[in-house]
Amino acid sequence: MNAQSLGSLRTGWSATLDDCAISGGWTSEGNEFAVVDAAGSVSVFDGKRGDLIWTKKQVHDGGALATSVHPSKSKFATTGQDGRLIIWNLLEPDTEKVIDIGKGWAENVSWSPDGNLIATSLSKTVYVYSAAGEEVWRTSDHQSTVSTIAWTNKGELATACYGQVQFLDGVSGNLIQKLEWKGSLVSIALSSDSDIVACGSQDNSVHFWRRSSGNDSKMSGYPFKPSALSFNNKGTLLATGGSEAATVWNFEGDGPEGTSPLELDYHADAITSLLFSNHSNRLISGCRNGTVVLWEIKPNNTEAKLGVGQVADTVAELYWRPDDRAVAALDRQGGVTVWRI
Amino acid sequence: MNTPQKVPVTILTGFLGSGKTTLLNRILSEEHGKRIAVIENEYGEVGIDQALVIDAEEEIFEMSNGCICCTVRGDLIRVLSNLMKRRDKFDYVLVETTGLADPGPVAQTFFMDEDISSEYALDGIVTLVDAFHIDQQLGRSDESTEQIAFADVVVLNKTDLASSDSLDEIETRIREMNRMTKIVRAENADVPVDTVLNLSAFNLDQALERRPTFLEPEYPFEWTGVYLVEPGNYKVQFDEGPDPSMSLVITTDQGSDDSDLRDNAEKCVRYYAEDGKSILPDETIPMNTHVELNLASGGSKSFDIIIDKPMQIGLYAQHTAEEFNIKIITRDEDVVVSAVVERTWVAQHEHDDEVGSIAIEKDGDVDQEKLNKWLSKVLGEKGIDIFRMKGFLSISGDSRRFVFQGVHMLFDAKPDRSWDDMPRRNQLVFIGRNLDEDEMRKGFEECLV
Repeated sequence: MNAQSLGSLRTGWSATLDDCAISGGWTSEGNEFAVVDAAGSVSVFDGKRGDLIWTKKQVHDGGALATSVHPSKSKFATTGQDGRLIIWNLLEPDTEKVIDIGKGWAENVSWSPDGNLIATSLSKTVYVYSAAGEEVWRTSDHQSTVSTIAWTNKGELATACYGQVQFLDGVSGNLIQKLEWKGSLVSIALSSDSDIVACGSQDNSVHFWRRSSGNDSKMSGYPFKPSALSFNNKGTLLATGGSEAATVWNFEGDGPEGTSPLELDYHADAITSLLFSNHSNRLISGCRNGTVVLWEIKPNNTEAKLGVGQVADTVAELYWRPDDRAVAALDRQGGVTVWRI
Repeated sequence: MNTPQKVPVTILTGFLGSGKTTLLNRILSEEHGKRIAVIENEYGEVGIDQALVIDAEEEIFEMSNGCICCTVRGDLIRVLSNLMKRRDKFDYVLVETTGLADPGPVAQTFFMDEDISSEYALDGIVTLVDAFHIDQQLGRSDESTEQIAFADVVVLNKTDLASSDSLDEIETRIREMNRMTKIVRAENADVPVDTVLNLSAFNLDQALERRPTFLEPEYPFEWTGVYLVEPGNYKVQFDEGPDPSMSLVITTDQGSDDSDLRDNAEKCVRYYAEDGKSILPDETIPMNTHVELNLASGGSKSFDIIIDKPMQIGLYAQHTAEEFNIKIITRDEDVVVSAVVERTWVAQHEHDDEVGSIAIEKDGDVDQEKLNKWLSKVLGEKGIDIFRMKGFLSISGDSRRFVFQGVHMLFDAKPDRSWDDMPRRNQLVFIGRNLDEDEMRKGFEECLV
């Protein structure tokens, strides 16, 4: 490894919410950043300077659980413990649509890549609505509470729960593929060509499938649950949490089976969030003690540490701005911290 | 960063209708001012303002390796993970399971999932038992048996609906299944909150600090009778019985509530620890003293007692009144005084419950290597059938006491305080199904140095 002096990441702006920052997202141009907190408040910040554009308290009774910013338009959606999906106008605190899905926690929300559909899950059911908020389809019950959902670049919706990952047609909801594994799958990462799906598993392993062949494999031996997963933009590298080191598996050639991963050592506590940038092999990782590190994975499969940041408490989520020129971190104390890259 | 205090979690189990919701409401109303979160698997009528109540359907997650100790509760992981994402933590979490819940995966969740164990500490498992219906339930379902086997505290509820004889019998049966559990009786789940919360039942050094044994007492007497007496002379009469002698303590100022009986039972355990004073027929029995009555002669015989003020006395006798037809009779008028209350303390007949407790207590040191080998064999072969285990060990060559506890194959041992002047000894308690006591005992004894 090259000797290098590790500088601090350059702080852009920061803000503090009422409670733990749960989920957020940049708008397509990076001009705004929307975020929800555990007290159920919604806030929108100016993406460049960090000025609060608007905030609305306690819009989700019991707390907010997820948010998703529309891929192109000025709107975003939030869900919460009140079982509601709310579609917001980004620049004004106006709701475009409030949908009472049902009793229970609406734990996931995600706009489709084309922005025409929005998917959410409540308990064992996944619901898909049009951009205007009309229900398009819903699934029958999954075998357990749906842990996570993700859209592929081809417009399929992937859903994970105990025992399986399903791929559903985004428009019709028809089942395209079901991949089974006896274990609780808690997170999903999809390669850019949608061929590889990797899932963090309750049993401290990462399970992945190559969808074209149906072959599956798993990486085990993580000391903690590897919930944080991220593919790089080419789908060749998979970064995983589950320990104090970020582990990067290389899917090129015959890998990752039979290969040793790259271990990115710096964090002194379990990694809670990590994310590859949108356009390069830069990786941002955050851990329980609030340390955030920017890495670069080089073509020769070595790493460089580019900078370190620190937030007040456990890093909840990390978000690259669409142009990769900034990263936002959400933390347990309600902090929103943005660094310029 | 400093380690934040872990949030204690109490599990409330018990069959539908056993009084879980009543107990829950009692805790919430008495612990007002504290931030308590309640996770309910059974839709109840909890309506207390300061509590956050979350309904969650039970979801059992087994793992691909087939290991039962890796089986966890997905609903708890989901809800608890979310609850910790708050700036103001909860002071306490109560989980009310369904009557059909297997406590194993519930407990294992707090050891197997690191996200959970880094923020929460399982404080104890409290099982409510409906005194009126339990006899039928125990025979019929594994769940009710396992809920008792896992319990740190059993609340024997609705005692007003059962006779005192049947309560004693149920208590004995529960005690045989789980010798580590504390049993408290209640009519309407009205137990003091501190008997069910903050038990540190999974934090052994703390638990041992409070009470230097994991075993609930086994009483050296089988029966207690309470009698109201006026000043004067009485005789205690015995018919011919199965034994030529009997140990006895007569307590003065004896109350008649179950708690009074239990308090004096603890005292009598200490009296019984002294050698019994030998008493022949027609001699006088001293009060609050362990005596050994000589019953060797044939036929009926009696002993004197002298009462100096009006009060209730308690006879804590080695055998039941029935076996010897024990009677208290006024010396002058030959009037039989009937008992105000009677209770039995130990089994009068063996139950054939599959679930039982094994307690091994031995002085001396064990060889660590032999012990490890033996324990891994026991857990490997019997782990599925072992519900809970606890104990402390004196390991040869180590000045510290070792404490251990486990759930199924999950086993956690760590050094505790130094032995110092305390006599070095070992105590191991296993609660499980179809455990072979002789084999376990022999296996452990072979580990002794």
